[in-house]
Amino acid sequence: MSDIRNERRTFLKVLGAATAAGVSSQPLFSALADPPVAPDEFFVFIHASGGWDVTVGLDPRNEARGIIDPASTQWVDTAVLRNWRDATLDADYETFEILQPRGTNLRFGPAVGNLLNIADRVTVINGLAMNTVSHPDGTFFVSTGRHLAGGRPAGASIDTVMANESGRAQLFPSVSVSYPSAYVGNELDPRSAPLKMASIDSVSRVLTRANVNTQAADRNAVTMMLTQEARDLLARSYHPEVIEQFVLQYESLPRMVREDFLGLFQTAGLQTAQPNFNYRARFQSRGAVNAAFAVEAMKRNVVRCVSFSMGSLDTHGANYRTQPLVQQELFDVVAQLVASLDAAPHPTLRNERLSAHTHILVVSDFCRTPQINMTGGRDHYPNGSALVISPKFRGGFSFGSSDPDQLLPRVAGRFADGMRAVAPPDVLATFVNAFGVNPRKYLRDGDVVRELLRA
Amino acid sequence: MARRAAALALVTALGCTQGAADEPTPTPTPTPSQDAGGAVTADVPVLRPRTVQEIPGHESIAQDTAPKEAPRLVPVEALMRSYMTLFGGLSPLQLQTRLRGSGGNLFDTWNDYLSALGVPDYAADIPRNEQTNALMLAAFERIGVALCDRAVESDLAAMPPTQKVVFRFDLPANRAVTDAEFATRFDVLHRLFFGYPASLAPPERLPRFRQLLRDAAARRATQPANAPGFNATRASWAVVCYAFVRHPEFHLY
Amino acid sequence: MRYRYAAGVLALMMSAGVAPQVADAVPTREAYRFFRSLSIDLQGRMPTPEEVAAFERPDFNLDAWIDQRLTGPRYAERLRRIYMDRMRLEVGSNFGFVSNPIVLRRVRVRDPNNNLVDVYYRRSQRRNRAETDADFCLTQAESGIRVANNGTIDGTATPVAADVWGARTVALRPWWLYRDYRNTNPSQRVAPNANSDAVEFEPVAALMNEPDGRTPTVSVRVCREEAQTAPTGRVYLSGRTTNPPRGTPLPGNRFNNPPLDSAYARAHPTDMVSCTAGTGVSMSDQCGCGPGLERCMPGASLGNDPPAFVLPNNMPLGPDVPLDNVAQAQSEWARFWWSQEAVRFLDDLFGNDRDVREVLTGRQTMVNGPLSQFYRTMAGSTCCGNGTNFDYVEPVSLFEPAQVPADLVPQDTNTWRRVADRGPNAAGVLTMPIFLAKYGTRRARAHIVYQAFLCREFVAENVELTPSEEPNLMVRSGCATCHTTLEPLSSYFTRVTESGWTFLPAQRFPAENTACARRGTSISGICGSFYDPQFANSTRGLLRGAYGSVANADAGPAGLARAVTAMPEFSQCVASNFAESFLGRALGPEDSALVTDLTTALRNGNYRSRALVRALLRADAYRNANNLGSDTWRQGAMP
Repeated sequence: MSDIRNERRTFLKVLGAATAAGVSSQPLFSALADPPVAPDEFFVFIHASGGWDVTVGLDPRNEARGIIDPASTQWVDTAVLRNWRDATLDADYETFEILQPRGTNLRFGPAVGNLLNIADRVTVINGLAMNTVSHPDGTFFVSTGRHLAGGRPAGASIDTVMANESGRAQLFPSVSVSYPSAYVGNELDPRSAPLKMASIDSVSRVLTRANVNTQAADRNAVTMMLTQEARDLLARSYHPEVIEQFVLQYESLPRMVREDFLGLFQTAGLQTAQPNFNYRARFQSRGAVNAAFAVEAMKRNVVRCVSFSMGSLDTHGANYRTQPLVQQELFDVVAQLVASLDAAPHPTLRNERLSAHTHILVVSDFCRTPQINMTGGRDHYPNGSALVISPKFRGGFSFGSSDPDQLLPRVAGRFADGMRAVAPPDVLATFVNAFGVNPRKYLRDGDVVRELLRA
Repeated sequence: MARRAAALALVTALGCTQGAADEPTPTPTPTPSQDAGGAVTADVPVLRPRTVQEIPGHESIAQDTAPKEAPRLVPVEALMRSYMTLFGGLSPLQLQTRLRGSGGNLFDTWNDYLSALGVPDYAADIPRNEQTNALMLAAFERIGVALCDRAVESDLAAMPPTQKVVFRFDLPANRAVTDAEFATRFDVLHRLFFGYPASLAPPERLPRFRQLLRDAAARRATQPANAPGFNATRASWAVVCYAFVRHPEFHLY
Repeated sequence: MRYRYAAGVLALMMSAGVAPQVADAVPTREAYRFFRSLSIDLQGRMPTPEEVAAFERPDFNLDAWIDQRLTGPRYAERLRRIYMDRMRLEVGSNFGFVSNPIVLRRVRVRDPNNNLVDVYYRRSQRRNRAETDADFCLTQAESGIRVANNGTIDGTATPVAADVWGARTVALRPWWLYRDYRNTNPSQRVAPNANSDAVEFEPVAALMNEPDGRTPTVSVRVCREEAQTAPTGRVYLSGRTTNPPRGTPLPGNRFNNPPLDSAYARAHPTDMVSCTAGTGVSMSDQCGCGPGLERCMPGASLGNDPPAFVLPNNMPLGPDVPLDNVAQAQSEWARFWWSQEAVRFLDDLFGNDRDVREVLTGRQTMVNGPLSQFYRTMAGSTCCGNGTNFDYVEPVSLFEPAQVPADLVPQDTNTWRRVADRGPNAAGVLTMPIFLAKYGTRRARAHIVYQAFLCREFVAENVELTPSEEPNLMVRSGCATCHTTLEPLSSYFTRVTESGWTFLPAQRFPAENTACARRGTSISGICGSFYDPQFANSTRGLLRGAYGSVANADAGPAGLARAVTAMPEFSQCVASNFAESFLGRALGPEDSALVTDLTTALRNGNYRSRALVRALLRADAYRNANNLGSDTWRQGAMP
């Protein structure tokens, strides 16, 4: 065998022994990572799944102008909308009055629900250039800042990014409940891999341990041994990333399966702990559970990011009648989430409320056509809106717009690549930059929009 | 890519350091002249990069140029079928019934673990999860404990090895296995779970597993004789089984 | 390959019934791991110790072993998964197949003996009484209750008079209770096999038992019109052409106005219409639910989508071994079997090593009992809506009913049969209901074909969309980037209605229709449902979706299939998809040689997947997977 191969083999054996002896508790690659930023901040990312109709919500239209068919009593059920105030559309039907919260430049449609009550804390970005009307593509575009490549995400999603930057030490750095999470890229610590689950309840059963035949000490001994085995494989592997994930995930396992966390993952317990969410909502009852989980998990300081989807927005046909109600329930969940965070003490910062350190981002795949289609619904449209509730963002503020006749994104300002509309990568870049993270570390595209941030 | 580049540089540097004593003394770089003010004025010699073969003693080197592939996670469908096959050839629902047994909360239902295992939901457009995360490893443990405990209960009862499912060997009565006895039994399990003989495994693997067995038995020895749960023999072999069914080599291919 | 063992190991293995041969050489760890990889990919599980022992024998022929496993259900599943992961051919309850012509609901009334009895009816059923036309067959005066379309009941049930009971309702033995429902006196009552794990034909308990919840139902009571069995019926004219003024009391105190005579009905008063078409059901009082009510789906309540059958929610290992069985809504029956059709189709294609191009071009399919029932009796229920304005009342199907096996009954859930030819409009998965439901719009359908079968994406990064009056997205600024390609592709689906599978034949719906030319500023009202006013001119109207390419519109999905499979990118994409799946990673530029080799293997193998897979398994890239630094393993050491 050649000298160089012997030398490498010797090195690897030395390295393997060193890591096994605990010389470095951090794997080789993670040891080179930056220290965590924003260690006391929490993040909630919500995907409004299906493509929301912004003309009844965040970018309201109540005039039949251009190609725009405003929502009216002809097309939607209005009796269930608390913020619907009739305004004459034509001889037969009524449309709605646009809501303009005082002290803000925000304009809301009737679907905003209780978001109206916290308008001064809300940042809206309208006229997002989506450049897609494909569900999977739009979904990952808003969460990663990149369109799909070959059907696969081309970058890490925002929850993975923030978990990587500030959540590695958390027990559950990123909890993802049917959210378009993507763990893609070379700058990622395996601990920030999103814990993907279909529902909160399913987690409790996965984490349950029965001490019937053997005990925790037995299982933990196995975990420790397997960690050593994995480290040896890591030292021998030409592609260590996969094994490195095993090492770090083994290390977090004993903490995860402690009994005192199981209650976090049970709907009944969450409903008791957070009774003010509407768990009987027609469309967003699961969103309410997920939001309640976010609050409780943050109170215990076991998560950094909680991300989930709220759906039923893809209303191509007669189901458009309920689109505003779906949004109202969605925004009610968000508003109640803020209220619950207002009431919750920060787990590590004395005399602070969680709401002062929690940052919420709500986006959707794209929006819906300004025209009503042949079946009484709206189809997909390459425009979008985003909602941010964050102490780092300017509250009561709307940025960007769409044109009055066709609801298309308008030029929002001068970006690095010229005058153009704002786009999802800009929102994500601004978001990460607000916490001192260089967006280029994770995002190929997107400029920081200073106007969105508090001075 | 920066981290990996840095790491590789580190590896290369250390590798070069290991062999430094065998290299001939390099030609010293001429000392640049300095003017009265101390500034360097002489021309800095241009360093021409050399190939590896130009280094004395390295004229003929075998290079490992075979392309390498990263290990893949066993698809969840194949993983579930493997569980069924390795632990008795039952159908999923039959195995579920057996694992749940008559109580003890050892197992829930397969449905409860599907999401954590990364099963895709085509109707909801939730893609297959092809990377591990901590929750997935927790699911591997939950399932593995149930499978191994039931296998211990059935196989370590008195029956011919040919009828056993996992532990296809006899165990000495009333005493622990010797090192040699453990090694042969370890090989049976190694072949079952990893598909190759233990003789081809890293040398430290066998002693680790053996220590796992011994430690589990030792923990039992400190408990009262009538303590609930497995006795020393059963607990120790259950623990060995846990280690196999949760091992990276079991879940990767 | 020949191997040796430690004595102790040999003894143990023999005591366990595993008998290896004693020989000389020891295989490498890579060889064992390679064999394990092959087992996982080709057998769908890890190898057993017996299989490993066989692998170690000196006479083991790995090539033959591989070839033997390039067939069978696990192999087919392995390849099917590649495309199911790509296309995700399942739909949830957001695609509600709740078509009034096929949905039976039931109302609880009191029979002449004051017993509570469920009476089945169809909301859209035509009856020759204004009081009950397209409504429940018993009026409030007759039954004490009236039924609203939203499922609410008004009033209290009172015993129905005997003569009314006999005139309005009839008892019969329906298909969901009797396998031999087509016989005069059905007797083979359905009995779900409680010992079977597989998906069986199992109606929910509420359909199997009387209102007491215990007594097995022998026969069901149904409104008499629904019990009619003729395949055709004469157009019914009620004489109603306008609704009465608002506030006018309605006949029989019904909630909604009775239906009006349609323009088509008035123009064709003596025509016979098909009772399997939705249009026929809406126009004839002689169209019932057929023998044993086989054209209609039962439901255990008045709800919009009542519970009907027990089906699994989760079956990652296939319908033979589901993980649960749960009472499902009525519409789930269709959705479930649609998806299974695609699964079986792909399994047949890969398992029997058919030409992979048939994924798109194949006119064959696989059906079982439920699918046969759907295609024969229910698929046409969504036709034809406003198509009657174009004299379209008899659907032209993507799957010709005459090709559907007539002997299969809905209970034959596990009897699968290949149909060699669905008809000239069929095109692989492109014309299956599951594909058309999953990808509801023309553009969505074209997009997934582009992505899954040409491995291309529509990516329009940083393109400015400026307001424009230009309806043609192929020239509109910003949109043209993608739509120059997307619109012509979408045009292939012009003749298949969106969110459905109704086919629009050229003889009724010419792509360019002079009758739908622009008159003044727009086209006629009846044209608007099918022809796009934005692309009409003074001489002709253009079928919606056809502006991208009239030729493509006329070629239909079968034309798209031919076009795509003829492109060189198709075979490259197949090779790439297979390689990515087997290697477990995205391909990069360094894989171009591999893809070229695999593409060549596919083409040289006449587009059979087996040739491609064989080449892939022999490629270095596959063999080198899971390479954990093999040179550092200790070789040949003995414990």
